[in-house]
Amino acid sequence: MAVLEKLHRRIVDMGLVPRIIASLPKISIFCALLSISWLTLFLPLEGQYRRTYISENALMPSQAYSYFRESEWNILRGYRRELENLKDLDIHERNTIVASWMEEYGAKTSINTNNQYGETLYGIVHTSRGDGTEAMVLAAPWTTTDGLYNNGGAALAISLARYFARWPVWSKNIIVVLSADPQASLRAWVKAYHTKLDLTGGSIESAVVLDYPGTNDYFKYIEIGYNGLNGGLPNLDLINTAVHISEHEGMKVSLHGMPFVELSQDTYKLRLKTLLSGIKDMTLAGIKNTTGHEAFNGWRIQSVTLKAHGQDGPFDVTTFGRVPEAIFRSVNNLLEKFHQSFFFYLLLSPRSFVSIGSYLPAAIALSASFAIASADSILNNEYSKLPLLSIYNIWALFAFAVALMISFVTAEAFAYMPLPSLLLAFNVALSFISFTVIKYKIQKPFSYRFKAFAHLYFSIVLTSLLVVNFALALAVGVLAFPMSLTKTTTNATMQQKLRNSLLLMSSNPFIASWILCQLFEAQLAGTSLFHSLIDAWTQLGCWTWYVLCIGWYPSWILVAYSSIDSIPIVTTSKKSY
Amino acid sequence: MNSREKQVIFGCLTTRLLVSLLFPSLQQQLDKAVEFSTPVTSFRSLQEGVFLLQNDLPVYNGGVVHHLPLLVALMSVVTKDSLISLLYAGIDAVIAYQLMLMSKQFSAQLKMPNWIPGALYAANPLVLLSCVSRSTVTFTNLAISTALLAALQGNVFLASVSIAVAGYLSFYASFLAIPMLFILKRGRLQSVITIIISLSLYLLASYKINNENWNFLRSTYGVVVTFSRLIPNLGLWWYFFIEMFEFFIPFFKAVFNIFAISFITPFSIRFYKQPFYAFILCLGWVTLTKPYPTLGDGGFFLSFVPFFQPLFVYLRYSIISILLFIHAIVLAPIFYHLWIDLGSGNSNFFYAISLVYALALASVVVDLCWSMLRIEYDNGNPKLDVQLTQL
Repeated sequence: MAVLEKLHRRIVDMGLVPRIIASLPKISIFCALLSISWLTLFLPLEGQYRRTYISENALMPSQAYSYFRESEWNILRGYRRELENLKDLDIHERNTIVASWMEEYGAKTSINTNNQYGETLYGIVHTSRGDGTEAMVLAAPWTTTDGLYNNGGAALAISLARYFARWPVWSKNIIVVLSADPQASLRAWVKAYHTKLDLTGGSIESAVVLDYPGTNDYFKYIEIGYNGLNGGLPNLDLINTAVHISEHEGMKVSLHGMPFVELSQDTYKLRLKTLLSGIKDMTLAGIKNTTGHEAFNGWRIQSVTLKAHGQDGPFDVTTFGRVPEAIFRSVNNLLEKFHQSFFFYLLLSPRSFVSIGSYLPAAIALSASFAIASADSILNNEYSKLPLLSIYNIWALFAFAVALMISFVTAEAFAYMPLPSLLLAFNVALSFISFTVIKYKIQKPFSYRFKAFAHLYFSIVLTSLLVVNFALALAVGVLAFPMSLTKTTTNATMQQKLRNSLLLMSSNPFIASWILCQLFEAQLAGTSLFHSLIDAWTQLGCWTWYVLCIGWYPSWILVAYSSIDSIPIVTTSKKSY
Repeated sequence: MNSREKQVIFGCLTTRLLVSLLFPSLQQQLDKAVEFSTPVTSFRSLQEGVFLLQNDLPVYNGGVVHHLPLLVALMSVVTKDSLISLLYAGIDAVIAYQLMLMSKQFSAQLKMPNWIPGALYAANPLVLLSCVSRSTVTFTNLAISTALLAALQGNVFLASVSIAVAGYLSFYASFLAIPMLFILKRGRLQSVITIIISLSLYLLASYKINNENWNFLRSTYGVVVTFSRLIPNLGLWWYFFIEMFEFFIPFFKAVFNIFAISFITPFSIRFYKQPFYAFILCLGWVTLTKPYPTLGDGGFFLSFVPFFQPLFVYLRYSIISILLFIHAIVLAPIFYHLWIDLGSGNSNFFYAISLVYALALASVVVDLCWSMLRIEYDNGNPKLDVQLTQL
């Protein structure tokens, strides 16, 4: 503390304190800019990111020869042909027939029926060597994310299980899961597995979801999906293993829907593109195209989706099958849970990443920017000397509680009765509150205090989200930033009012996220974003909707309220207890 | 009792009862939360003890119950759930009232109404949640505040008996008898004798209740002193002993124990002119260094900070302390969740946050200590333009 004190004394002596206080708004903006430029300019630079590596030695990807080749070729095609015939059957009949196939090769099967989300067939191939306390999941939802019949994926899962069942190397049980869809139904199965199912195979270590629609024999490249719900990511080792194996088989690996032509390049622009689309996908995980691996989040299961792209190409469907085979061989080697490698990372390409230590400063700077904006609202005006327990602080705290209540009610009411246009219209109207409310004026110190509380609360929300869901924290922070630029006005001109209103409108949680999705996410066009947000909460347990409503909206309401034209008052002796 | 005080007490009672009533599952959730519950303060294990006692089973053989026999016996009388809620809420209301009585003793120095400390205690979310979680620190806190109030009012007997209860319930609280003796203006010897006699009586009664068996000592004080339930909590101890080689452990347990009590006598002696403040600093020190702390302890200590109101002008990093507290309290459950539930974090995450919490407590204690020294230097009249620094 002595060093700090010396520093403090020095700063006081140099007369920097008033200057620092005066330039707090600039510092706040600087922090926000620093945050964005750290992420976009700095991290993708050569030398700032790292090459991936397999951290857990036991994994040894592709060290064992993969045998899912010619001998399995006809079996796989046979299953696929039969599945094609079952395509138009009712899911229950289809599951019953497939269950009989799986029982033929010794798997124990069961059908879990969820009244709301359809039924899920799963079969367990019990290990001959292990103690049966651990399991690996191979999942193939009947319909893929794009709504296609997952013929190839299901046939692969069934034939891989048949092939695995003949092999004595397994030390973990193998569970094949065929769910109705990759979203709610798979999630419902995972939940049931951990709560009520009778036929279980021990704790699930890893899950691989197969996405291979159609009956075509060949495909061009593979895409790996990994962004989990609520910011959860699989251990980097699993992704590295999947990437390593795929590339070992000769395939190109794509992340976040990167097109084929870009896969062989490694440029600054592409790294930046992957990074940003990774952040976008992580923010919208569970809300837009849920590919299946998201369903496993929250139970310490590391999961990825393997998706085949293209109808023509040098790789046949058994090559695709060799990827899960080799992943299972690797995971089978593990004696402990995945723990060696990173759980917090951002990928810049399949083979390069930045770890939490490198990217966290971006989000911390953003959170600090709001904290500084809060300090600015307290210090940079004539009411900075008000005592801590002044009536203004107490009422501001009360107003904050009211705003929190309103936000909570909005969140719940909207979940029951989704009327997106009404919500948007109401918030646009609220942004222009300074034009509509003319007679009533807010007392100036209140205006400042409301903003101080709003920014402080938002800063704390960002800080607590930082580690849990970095992408969401960053997205929310950047989108909400214009909020901190609004100014308290007295006898405002039209221009000032317009400026405030536009800033408010662009930082409203609903308007901002809606606009962003219109611009960058074709899947969430129109008002489907809001329905997806609610569905993500009710079906998958993804709490992005509540972050928007309870983390962001209360602050916004307070700032919007404080943008009403204010009247200055004298507060020299006004104290309250 | 004026109307404001009545309002505060009423508010204190109703908030606690309302929260218990509106969120019936909150008690169990909080009782499982690492911030509010430790093996030695958890209500679950107390109930286990009550069950064993009522069924005439040996209470301390299972290694689950770490509560004192008298407390278990007391709680076996109060079995109805609503009565237990009322008991806890009532205890908190009594503490709030005692805080207001204490501030009356200092009304000359404190430039604020007497009811403020009570209101802050009642509104303190840490205390509120700790009370709702039915943590047994509430009982210890009641004993400590009773002892403090009685000592301030010069009631030697009540002060001694209460501090003995506090020491009986929570081992490290017994060392608070030292600063308490400094508060008493007369009858110190008498007080020491009373403390010793009453403590012995409690222990003997416990011995009788526990089927004439001394084994409760090992599972209560023994567990606390030797830290044998190695479970993560907000304190400084657990992480240290997880990583240590077996043969170093006894030595460092002794060191940690000495550390926990080492500053109590120095504080009491240095600030003997302000014994009440010395007592609070000691309380802060014990809260910081005890092996099984909860947020309930922290909240109780913070409730005494308003009494330092004349010294607030001297505080040097109050904003840093507040920010540290906010972040520690917000992030602790999140990091614990990342570690225990999701498995993506590890123990370092939670330990880092418990360090932040310790830093927050320490910065409050250090800052208060500094402002005490400073006002002493200024002879009671703040001269803020004089700049002082530590050597």
